[in-house]
Amino acid sequence: MDSHIRFWFSRRKWVLVAVGLPVLIGAWWAFRPEKLWINQKVNEPAPFASSTDPQPLYTGRLEGKAHQTSGRATIYKTADGKEYLRLTDFSTSNGPDVHVLLARSDDENLKQEIVKGQVDRVELGLLKGNQGDQNYDLPASVDLQKYDAAVIYCERFHAVFGVARLEQF
Amino acid sequence: MDCKIRTVLAIAALAFTFGMQPPAHAQDSNAKTLETGTFHGKVHTTSGRATIYQEKDGRLILRLTNFKTSNGPDVHVILIAAADADDDANFLKSNTERVELGKLKGNEGDQNYAIPSGTDLSKFQTVSIYCERFNANFGAAPLEKF
Repeated sequence: MDSHIRFWFSRRKWVLVAVGLPVLIGAWWAFRPEKLWINQKVNEPAPFASSTDPQPLYTGRLEGKAHQTSGRATIYKTADGKEYLRLTDFSTSNGPDVHVLLARSDDENLKQEIVKGQVDRVELGLLKGNQGDQNYDLPASVDLQKYDAAVIYCERFHAVFGVARLEQF
Repeated sequence: MDCKIRTVLAIAALAFTFGMQPPAHAQDSNAKTLETGTFHGKVHTTSGRATIYQEKDGRLILRLTNFKTSNGPDVHVILIAAADADDDANFLKSNTERVELGKLKGNEGDQNYAIPSGTDLSKFQTVSIYCERFNANFGAAPLEKF
């Protein structure tokens, strides 16, 4: 009797191992839980030789506020360190005294169409045209971490025509 | 004899000229940026930027920068024929058309993937980091014209 039990016990153990081990291995293969904390880092170079062309730093899509505005705003850095904002596929409404600004994307003033307070801004100049590709030089040493939005702004009526949130390229 | 030397010299000069030519690759310095977008992901936090470049010879390349996602088994990079992907776990149960770009090379860092020639980018508008085994979308980046 005693040996019978022991026999069963050991046999059950063997069955458990025979069934359990493949199940465990299968589960490990399927879920690869160790990958949750093992990272695989890569660092491939750009697919083309880096050149002397201006490099994009930040980019974003313009969204219309007071007037329908569309296109892309991108901040480039030239080989000699100058930065400029370039608008492409750009289209907005024409208007009086329209300016291009850099502002803070979290500025409460920009959430309204008509600004009541003061926008914390970097002035880039009068809008050159309400359609088409155009460049605006940035003053030296603008904190682009802080001023992370390009704004098309009508000074006369304090109207926000459009805002582009700039994100790292 | 003199003729022979001249021939050898000429061949040497030719070889030198061609050998000195910059590799064709150097001329591709200004690849065109076609489309770009940023990742969002819920199943696993995924962030970074996806950009499609066109080299001068017409080849399309997807490049991921500032990229970060979770590591996992059998993770692929695919283009899907959709304007965006839900942050839903099982988004590909429906027969969403896709273009396979290969296994994810790393869950962190800059990386490039060749896009098969003839891929219609106006149709395949979204990059997805896709776990084949669990049909899970780790993250998606809808692409917009640069």
